[in-house]
Amino acid sequence: MSGKIKSWVLERVPFDLEATTHMMSEVLLKEPIPGHMKNWFYALGATPLLLFGIQVITGMLLTFYYVPSPDTAYQSVRYIMHDVRLGFWIRGIHHWSATLMIIFLFIHMGRVFFTRAYRKPREINWMIGVLMLVLTLGLGLTGYALVYNQLSYWATTVGTNMLKEIPLIGMPLLHLLRGGETVNPNTLTRFFNLHIGFLPTILFGLIVLHILIVRLHGVSELEGREGEPSYSFYPEHFYHTILLGLMLLIFVSALSIINPPAVGSPANPNVTPHHIKPEWYFFAIYSILKIIPLQTGVYLFTLLLLTAFFWPFLDDAVRRKWPRVRMHFWVGSAAILGFLFFTVWETIQP
Amino acid sequence: MSEHNDLTVQKRLVGIFSFLLLVILIIVAGYETKKTREGKAVIKVSGVSKQCVDCHTGKGVAVKAIDQWRSSMHAEQNIACYDCHQAQEGDFDAFTCPESDIVVARHPTPNDCAECHQEQVDEFTNSKHAHQFWLLKNADRAVFEFPLATRNGCEQCHQIGNIWPDKSVGECDACHAKHSFDLAVARQPETCGECHIGPDHPHIEIYNESKHGNIFNAKGHGWDLSYWSEDQDGIPLEVPVCTTCHMDANGVQKSTHNVSARLAWESQAPWSFRTVWDQEHLGDWQTKRDRMESICKSCHAPDFTDTYFLTADLVNLQYNEIRRLFVRWTTRMTDDGVISREEANGKFYSDPVLNGWDEEPERLLYYAWHHEGRRFRHGAEMMGADFTQWHGIWEVQEDMTEMMQFAADHGYAEARAWVASNNPVKWVPYALYDIPGNAWGIPAVTNKTPFLYNNYPDYWEKVRANVRTAYQAGLLSDSEWNLWEHRYENRDHYLGLKYDADSTFDFYKRRNDIDTDAFTKQAVNLQLPSASFWEEAQNGK
Repeated sequence: MSGKIKSWVLERVPFDLEATTHMMSEVLLKEPIPGHMKNWFYALGATPLLLFGIQVITGMLLTFYYVPSPDTAYQSVRYIMHDVRLGFWIRGIHHWSATLMIIFLFIHMGRVFFTRAYRKPREINWMIGVLMLVLTLGLGLTGYALVYNQLSYWATTVGTNMLKEIPLIGMPLLHLLRGGETVNPNTLTRFFNLHIGFLPTILFGLIVLHILIVRLHGVSELEGREGEPSYSFYPEHFYHTILLGLMLLIFVSALSIINPPAVGSPANPNVTPHHIKPEWYFFAIYSILKIIPLQTGVYLFTLLLLTAFFWPFLDDAVRRKWPRVRMHFWVGSAAILGFLFFTVWETIQP
Repeated sequence: MSEHNDLTVQKRLVGIFSFLLLVILIIVAGYETKKTREGKAVIKVSGVSKQCVDCHTGKGVAVKAIDQWRSSMHAEQNIACYDCHQAQEGDFDAFTCPESDIVVARHPTPNDCAECHQEQVDEFTNSKHAHQFWLLKNADRAVFEFPLATRNGCEQCHQIGNIWPDKSVGECDACHAKHSFDLAVARQPETCGECHIGPDHPHIEIYNESKHGNIFNAKGHGWDLSYWSEDQDGIPLEVPVCTTCHMDANGVQKSTHNVSARLAWESQAPWSFRTVWDQEHLGDWQTKRDRMESICKSCHAPDFTDTYFLTADLVNLQYNEIRRLFVRWTTRMTDDGVISREEANGKFYSDPVLNGWDEEPERLLYYAWHHEGRRFRHGAEMMGADFTQWHGIWEVQEDMTEMMQFAADHGYAEARAWVASNNPVKWVPYALYDIPGNAWGIPAVTNKTPFLYNNYPDYWEKVRANVRTAYQAGLLSDSEWNLWEHRYENRDHYLGLKYDADSTFDFYKRRNDIDTDAFTKQAVNLQLPSASFWEEAQNGK
């Protein structure tokens, strides 16, 4: 029976099934992976991808009930949390998967950074990765703005205000994001579009490119372990990844019940809360910007971003000049410790 | 550094930082998520107010007031001490803080609140909460009672309508208790009940007796009453509290601080009359009634609401007819010199149609209006059956009986004839209103027993004429008259007269007979063996 169905389809969609199956098997399943990746730790690279998949699915489910209008956004989020069956769970997973996705991105980038997996010829993939980090943070920013409670409204106002200080593109970018001079009803619909359309589409494209480049190059070997024997992606690494995904799902489900996200109080443009805070992943930037002047801060972070973007080339230049200097250990450690310090500092402020 | 060392260092760094990032950032994210649910605002105070807070806290003076303020929305908006307690030299309540040079206002008035709450202050100023009626007449205060008596009595409640030296009116924190100004406190029925209480306006008691109050007392303790009614989709409570009907929005109309906007009767007044209060802004009594009806109809069926309202309206009209009797007698007795008015220096301090304290008819007239007459009306309006009946009309009738007895004792032939009469119809010496049936259902037996129904075949025609007169005088609306007519034309149904449930009634009559036999045997016919000591004394023992 299945043979008859197969021939019926192949007659109407004429492709070489055997050749395609063989190619897919070679490319996807039999991808050679260096032996060091048998360690579970090295499956963590797939976790941001798994979490992205979870975000897409839960995000699509949320759009069944979410209404992106200033008059109804907040009420629709309340409705999801209190009235829709399992709405609180889906929103909780979406909220916590966003957090974990960013955490695992940092961990993944840290691993890539400290193992210098960005070294030639993989510089472009590192740069794509930095772009993906920026897009993910953008998704976090736009996502939380959609709740349209006091926190999200005012954090969006303050956050987009900072764009003004970016040289050259600051004001046009501000207008593009807000749909006007000040935060207005257009802003919410733009953020909604960015969050569910523009940003995920670009991110998806970059994810495909990122994985493709990894596949073309092969997984980067550890310095000092070059030439180690490789093994097939399927079944071992594949199932490690699946199991990790399932454990992540259990973990975010548990978090969404133990510590669910708030609905908060509805956005009120006439009432400025005394304390406005962005989401935790911007705490470090927020904390530093409270210490130094805004414009200086914007220049500083632009510089840091560019440094991160072009890091493979910087690192290579230093290595060639001073071969014994392990700059990346110091820079990476300082960056992570600094990030953690300022994040925790901002957290414990009253 | 050898490549082997490099690898080791890499592994250690990746391991340590991955662990740190995962643990610390999940804790941070969890903590922040929890904080957003708590919604506790961070209060910071600055400027002059910071001096107030720091000094008061340091010296332990009125510190609980500061704690209350910290929990308020004012504190969240950084509205602090000096924003309300600011004063200029020469202000009626200005004083200089003894520990600094700050000039402070002892009494923030509605003028201060109006800086931000102009709409609410305007609404309030136009309401009867701001109306100082009790000062307009030579009332019981400072005549029957001495001034000191009213300080912590009358003046405390009527402070809500205080006229301040700065010409503002009112006391906003009468309901929004300072310094938290908590909406939940303002909305709690007991807040209104601080003043709307007692024998002359037992509103909190009536509310607690009513089904609304009963359900609120049973289930309402966990309810969050701090909501903004205009942000709600309709009425968010299962049963109303006072503000629900008298002030809050219901999805169809806005909220108001003008409690006169939804009241169609002046049923606290000596005579019930359709309100004409601020018609220019609030509309006529029918518009005000419609506003109240809209609230009731958020929950109740129109049929129930309409019948209930009509019955309460007829109670107000009936009260007027009863009062007419009292006024006729006190006026007559005053004119005849049987009772007299209090007078000093050519000015009267009592009024035969209003009050008086040392002669029985004056006292009876006053109580029949100010106490039981109000209870009769307000109980009927707000579902306090006991107040309508035992604390209301029953006591009004007793007052009437005493009035007639006094008149009879003082030589009035008409009153003597009334006292001497054995005709049960004497208990209604005034024109009557009525409505076939009640709002609760169809009673199959209740209306078969009244004396008037059974002995006066033209009863309903006479009542109809009275109701029509009230309607033609503009005291009932078209829809009310139509409802009454409908009930009149179908009175056999609404009075239950066309239904035969006598067998059920007979069942209970037989049970009652058994009870009667029992008390006759146990009490009436029980003869104790010896006479009382009094009888013995009388018999010379």
